[in-house]
Amino acid sequence: MDFGLSEEQELLFENLADLVEREWDEEAYNDCYYNKHCYPRDFIMKLQEAGFTMLGVPEEFGGTPVDTVTMVMFAKELARMTGASLPCASNAISIDDILSFGSPEQQRIVLDYVAQNGSAPFALGFSEPQAGSDSSGILTTATRKDGKVYISGHKTMVTDADTSPYLLCITKNLEEPVAFKAMSMWLVPMDAPGVRLEPLHKIGLRTSGFHEVYLENVELPESSLLGVEGAGFMQLMKNFEIERLMLVAIGVGMAEAAFEEVARYANYREQFGKPLGQFQLIQEKITDMAIKLENMKNIIFKTAWEKDNGRSVQIGSALAKRYCAMASFEVLDEAMQIMGGMGYTEESRISRMWLDARHLRIAGGTDEIMVHIAGRAILKNYK
Amino acid sequence: MNVVACVKVVPDDQDLTVSPDYTLDFDRARPSISTYDLNAVEEGVRLVEDNGGSLKVLTVGDSSIDDSKLKKNILSRGADDLLMVADEDMKAMDAHQTACALKAALAKIDSYDLILCGDGSADLYAQQVGAQLGQLLGIPVINCVSKITVENGAVIAERTLEHEVEILEIPMPAVISVTSDINLPRIAGMKQILAAGKKPAVVLRATDLEYAALATIEVLETLAPKETDRKHIIIEGDSDEAIAAFIANVAKVI
Ligand SMILES: Cc1cc2nc3c(=O)[nH]c(=O)nc-3n(C[C@H](O)[C@H](O)[C@H](O)COP(=O)(O)OP(=O)(O)OC[C@H]3O[C@@H](n4cnc5c(N)ncnc54)[C@H](O)[C@@H]3O)c2cc1C
Repeated sequence: MDFGLSEEQELLFENLADLVEREWDEEAYNDCYYNKHCYPRDFIMKLQEAGFTMLGVPEEFGGTPVDTVTMVMFAKELARMTGASLPCASNAISIDDILSFGSPEQQRIVLDYVAQNGSAPFALGFSEPQAGSDSSGILTTATRKDGKVYISGHKTMVTDADTSPYLLCITKNLEEPVAFKAMSMWLVPMDAPGVRLEPLHKIGLRTSGFHEVYLENVELPESSLLGVEGAGFMQLMKNFEIERLMLVAIGVGMAEAAFEEVARYANYREQFGKPLGQFQLIQEKITDMAIKLENMKNIIFKTAWEKDNGRSVQIGSALAKRYCAMASFEVLDEAMQIMGGMGYTEESRISRMWLDARHLRIAGGTDEIMVHIAGRAILKNYK
Repeated sequence: MNVVACVKVVPDDQDLTVSPDYTLDFDRARPSISTYDLNAVEEGVRLVEDNGGSLKVLTVGDSSIDDSKLKKNILSRGADDLLMVADEDMKAMDAHQTACALKAALAKIDSYDLILCGDGSADLYAQQVGAQLGQLLGIPVINCVSKITVENGAVIAERTLEHEVEILEIPMPAVISVTSDINLPRIAGMKQILAAGKKPAVVLRATDLEYAALATIEVLETLAPKETDRKHIIIEGDSDEAIAAFIANVAKVI
């Protein structure tokens, strides 16, 4: 078994490290996070210039195709080096639906926007007040009249709704009894009449907005449909397994950043006349954190490798999502414990990462839903 | 225009370890591009982007520099191709030997208009190779160049000196050593890294060249300084006496 990186991967991460060393500004990021509530645009544009925001996007669309292992490693490394949750590492996954199913016009909108902004031009509108884990319960509809389409409904917990020019809105045909055949995807311009936002206030991930999106008879041309009518759910599910891996890879990277920071801290912070690291209770924490980090990296990289080798990752991605969402938060929580009171302040980036990582147990499918997916599938294998 | 950027391969200083007898252990140090030479490469890329032509990277050194990752690293920075001379006979060359080896290697290149060097090497930083190479080739040579443009077949070079900025027009071919602030070397993206493996890289041996140069320097020892404990001398206040005491203490160590 080969755990080594390829020369290309080594060079990729060395170049990324150079870029982060040159361009990452922790103070500016904290200002974005705590005060301005926006992404660190200058830094993201540097990633964009180096082509890193198009990693994994096919060559025909101007990207650099790489395997899933490299993409997952990149997401993890970017989070480790910056200590930040930067979704632009996963652009390839977010925009794949548009590149795979969209019209040439929709593809162009997306590619132009990524080129200019380093991020995707749309927010995802799937969850609704009555439909979270049970997404089949959505009630937003698309109705046709005089050659136009009218969207009505209420989306909630929409990340980036305030900054994205479009909402990738999932609607449901309430007459279709089979849920996965009932859904359709639309690209709704956020400035269309009838779209209204109400802010929600997240405790973490404060660089992005979070909104309720009300859609009242929003009139769209037929060309706003993305892909095939009724295939919206299948389209959305094309990449959800890899999406989960990419999501938790950020948590693993932040946990690793915190681990490295507190391991150093334990070597120099003295109490009772010796460094914290000389107390066995602290050594135990460091050891257990290291075990969790090893396990997390193994499970995400191995699952990515399985995907690259054409194996099913239905169970693997659910196991990875469930384990890493919890374990990355546990590592961050212990890191905060080793830091003591200063770890609980905004002066330390540990508290910021702790807030950010907590959402991984909820978004992208909750811990419990991962059991729902993996548990049933595993038992089925033993019938 | 055809540009050649000279690059030295040095051990990655992050992997150097000091042995108990203060000698340096290079065993774990992988070959890497001397930092200042990245500015020469970047300037070459920029000149070729602006004026057309091609950029070749030239490097000479011992056999360890014939390293696949290193070659990809060099070529991912924007050069079109690489000419490497890697031979155990070229181990630990001094500046004179290096300049002679580069001259011999340049004889293998059809034509060049400009040869770019870094300010100095990341390990020895003698700042000699560029000057000696120009002398050996019998062509114009200048150092400390912080801006280069090309006009009517000549190089316009700016040198930032202590009290003035000198602007020179130099006929080509010429050898120019650039400063480390002439540009910001670009970050190689995955596209460039993947493409690097497909670019031409020619590796020659010393016997392929007409080269013979004796060492002008004999290295007796290279030792790391001994570590001493911090002295914890604290001088408080900003009175003249305090400042004098501070200077006296600093003078003791230098
Ligand atoms: C930071 C963040 C960003 C988000 N961004 C977006 C976005 O951009 N677009 C979007 O559409 N949505 C987004 N979401 C919403 C996210 O998809 C939902 O929060 C998630 O699907 C869970 O739904 P819910 O919050 O309604 O919880 P619920 O589904 O109500 O679940 C509540 C609790 O019940 C548990 N539960 C539910 N069903 C079962 C069951 N069958 N068995 C056992 N336990 C169960 C859950 O695991 C959970 O613990 C985001 C969420 C967060 C936290």
